[in-house]
Amino acid sequence: MTWISKDWAMGGIIKGLIVTLKHVFRVGNRPTVTVQYPYEKMPVHPRFRGLHAIDEDACIGCGICEVNCPNSTITIVKHNTRWYPQVNMGMCLFCGICVDVCPMNAMKMTGNYELADYSRESLIYGPDRLLFKKEVN
Amino acid sequence: MESDELFINMGPVHPSTHGVARFKLRMDGESIKECTPVIGYLHRGTEKIGEMKTYLQFIPYTDRLDYIAAFPNNYAYVKAVEELAGIEVPLRAEYIRVLTMELNRIVNHIVSIGSLLMDLGAATMIMWGFRERENALQLFEMLCGARMTFNYIKPGGVREDIPDGFIPKLNEFIKDMEKRIVDYEQLINGNEIFHMRMKNIGVISGKDAVNYGWTGPTLRGSGVDYDLRKYEPYSIYPDLDFKVCVRKEGDSYARFIVRMDEMKESLHILRQVVDNMPATKLISMAEYGISPMTGTPTAVSTYFPRIFTPPAGEVYSRIEAPKGELGFYVVSDGTTKPYRVKIRSPSFCNLTAIPSLVKGLKIGDLIAAFGTIDVVLGDVDR
Amino acid sequence: MLFLAMWTGDIMFENTYELIVFILNFIGIYDPIYNVFEMFGLEYLLRIIIVLAEIAALFVFILLTVMFLTWMERKVVAMVQARYGPMVTGPRGLLQPVMDGVKLIGKEDIIPAKADRWVFTLAPFLIFIPALLVFIPLPFGESLIISDLNVGLLYIIAISAISPIAILMAGWASNNKYSLMGAIRAVAQDISYTIPLALAAISVVLLTGSLSTVDIVTAQSGTWFGFIPKWFIFLQPLGFILFLIASIAEMGRIPFDFQESESELVAGFFTEYSGMKFAMFFLAEYAHLFSVSAIVVTLFLGGWSVPFLSSIPATFAVLIPIISLAAFVIKTYVIIFFAMWLRDTVPRMRIDQLLNIGWKIMIPLALLNLLATAILLTAGVF
Repeated sequence: MTWISKDWAMGGIIKGLIVTLKHVFRVGNRPTVTVQYPYEKMPVHPRFRGLHAIDEDACIGCGICEVNCPNSTITIVKHNTRWYPQVNMGMCLFCGICVDVCPMNAMKMTGNYELADYSRESLIYGPDRLLFKKEVN
Repeated sequence: MESDELFINMGPVHPSTHGVARFKLRMDGESIKECTPVIGYLHRGTEKIGEMKTYLQFIPYTDRLDYIAAFPNNYAYVKAVEELAGIEVPLRAEYIRVLTMELNRIVNHIVSIGSLLMDLGAATMIMWGFRERENALQLFEMLCGARMTFNYIKPGGVREDIPDGFIPKLNEFIKDMEKRIVDYEQLINGNEIFHMRMKNIGVISGKDAVNYGWTGPTLRGSGVDYDLRKYEPYSIYPDLDFKVCVRKEGDSYARFIVRMDEMKESLHILRQVVDNMPATKLISMAEYGISPMTGTPTAVSTYFPRIFTPPAGEVYSRIEAPKGELGFYVVSDGTTKPYRVKIRSPSFCNLTAIPSLVKGLKIGDLIAAFGTIDVVLGDVDR
Repeated sequence: MLFLAMWTGDIMFENTYELIVFILNFIGIYDPIYNVFEMFGLEYLLRIIIVLAEIAALFVFILLTVMFLTWMERKVVAMVQARYGPMVTGPRGLLQPVMDGVKLIGKEDIIPAKADRWVFTLAPFLIFIPALLVFIPLPFGESLIISDLNVGLLYIIAISAISPIAILMAGWASNNKYSLMGAIRAVAQDISYTIPLALAAISVVLLTGSLSTVDIVTAQSGTWFGFIPKWFIFLQPLGFILFLIASIAEMGRIPFDFQESESELVAGFFTEYSGMKFAMFFLAEYAHLFSVSAIVVTLFLGGWSVPFLSSIPATFAVLIPIISLAAFVIKTYVIIFFAMWLRDTVPRMRIDQLLNIGWKIMIPLALLNLLATAILLTAGVF
């Protein structure tokens, strides 16, 4: 009978049962914490690193982000008359180095994290989908 | 009695191998006669990548080693680079680094305990744990914009200073966590079935543990008082008051209890960090008037020049990561990229003891022992 | 008036067939129908039709219960774990089981290449049908019983002993090591826990002197001293605990879920099953949960009898059959809730510990309980 240590009264299990019952009845600040995701979303903090956004006026197409990207995610492509980065989100690490190194502070990262898509081609975000115009007040 | 041996291939796709670990088991009925771990299913050549990328570019890759607790990975590499180049770090940045690392230690232990309990069949603990982990991840997101792969700690400081409203939220988290730990203890610690599963299972003596190269909570569960934060202090740990949690038994239960105690110690450290943090805000390099593109690193910065050549040399720097001793060996040849990066990852060294640990035990004990060693396969295979 | 007469014992029905005939008679349509059948000399056909209708009603009831139970299980687990559980399909996710069923029907029915096709196909049916057959001698309420066998309890224990065979068939035919180990574990567990289960039930039989479930329930109606219900749980506390533990082990739920043991054996004996065959294992599991809980209620918690009902004014006596059914269902759900609640709290045992407890503690205690009951019965205490 050495394999059972002690406590035939199963006090520990009863203690555990009480704690779980407290959760069932939500006693004492034990609320439901999950959110019904597609219908409601968690707020995203301002520093969140999601999909990129490029300031149309500030970006000079210098290519520093292209050089510094650890995963060679960014390529500079021609858009209308100017050169802008194009980001392959399928390879992006979301490290934010491109934002850090941008000399013009043109590169931003938005709070958009819903980037799942049906094909690899549509994961390549060209300037047409990344550019934004800063509102001048 | 004569009986045939049964060969079981457990993994790499199996509910309780924490990713892609694989065990080749030679079984006699339910007992394990021989267990051979097979690793390498998650090998990504991180060390080679380290040679191909600049010092700054490699930091996001260190996030992917131990993805449960990525801040210590960041810090260990950055510490090596700082020692290589002799960069001074502002005190506030060190405080922020310790804050993130201790918060991450709590997250790591929550996941470790939760997945251990889930492997044993009690799925409640991991859900409760993830509830608190979510709060911590919200803090990380607030701090650096990412929830698991941070890329936050940079040579010479951190990426950005802590935002407004972070400290009150952190205090709230600490207060909440203290109450939750009481819940965890009530749920698990006294449970007789848990005792039956954990006590005197997977016993390893302190001497054997040291010989296997164990570090971290797994080693401290065997009665070896070894914690780099205390005995080879780095960062601001000498100024902090905390004790090293040690248990003598060396069984699965001891390792579990050490983790539970370390969470409380980490909360204690967090409280001190919040109280003693220097008030002067960190200045970014741009604000200081140095171009982030070419300037030299200084002691006031949160930014780091993107092109940076440390003097030729080599350095091995190690820290106490949540899973054990994490070391980075970096060799510089004076160019913009390291000549060699070698990673001493705690998970890999701890995993090596599995065959002797589970010999003669049941298949259910393999799960329990493997769970208490707390392995992340990204860290094992690198 | 007739219902009143029924309750006061003037008219008693042995089973639901007689109740249906009586009601048809009461409405006045039994005789015309009977005459039509008699015209063709097919009187026995009418009887068969009525019995088949009963069985169909039972089948539908069980299926609905099982679907509700799967929903309830998920909801209870979610409540314990601070989650919502299924919320999308139907009000509060109530239609989730229907959607699961639709999904499973739509799935490909995979038979492994090296499986024993016939045995593999037969096993889910062999486990599903006994799970339904168990309900035949179970009294759901006053007069609500398909057939009051005079060996009802023996029948129940015998029928539930079929399921290990089906599990072994499933495990062997799958030609998978995990399945085989799960099956062997399940059989070892079922055999070792059927013995204390039966022994604890025999103590109850000693008290009533009958194996008929209706007799057992009738013996438990009424109260002692006007406030303690005359349930056998008060006469047999040890027997109740043993029976409850053994029945949870029979159900294969979490502290004893070795037939499945997800984290060790992937999914145990039904690892290789998919689609509708998997659904049948699933349904059988929950039908088993309901039937075993119902047996616990019948033996120890007074079945459908309601203790204080005799004090109800005679004008409400019409409601009594409905009240008895409601009482039975409520008591059963209390036991089911306990099983689910326990599942969320405790981890799984190890197989050798389980067998140790079964043979070294449960069986001696059950024998002791039987002996004590017999002695007290002979001494005239009960």
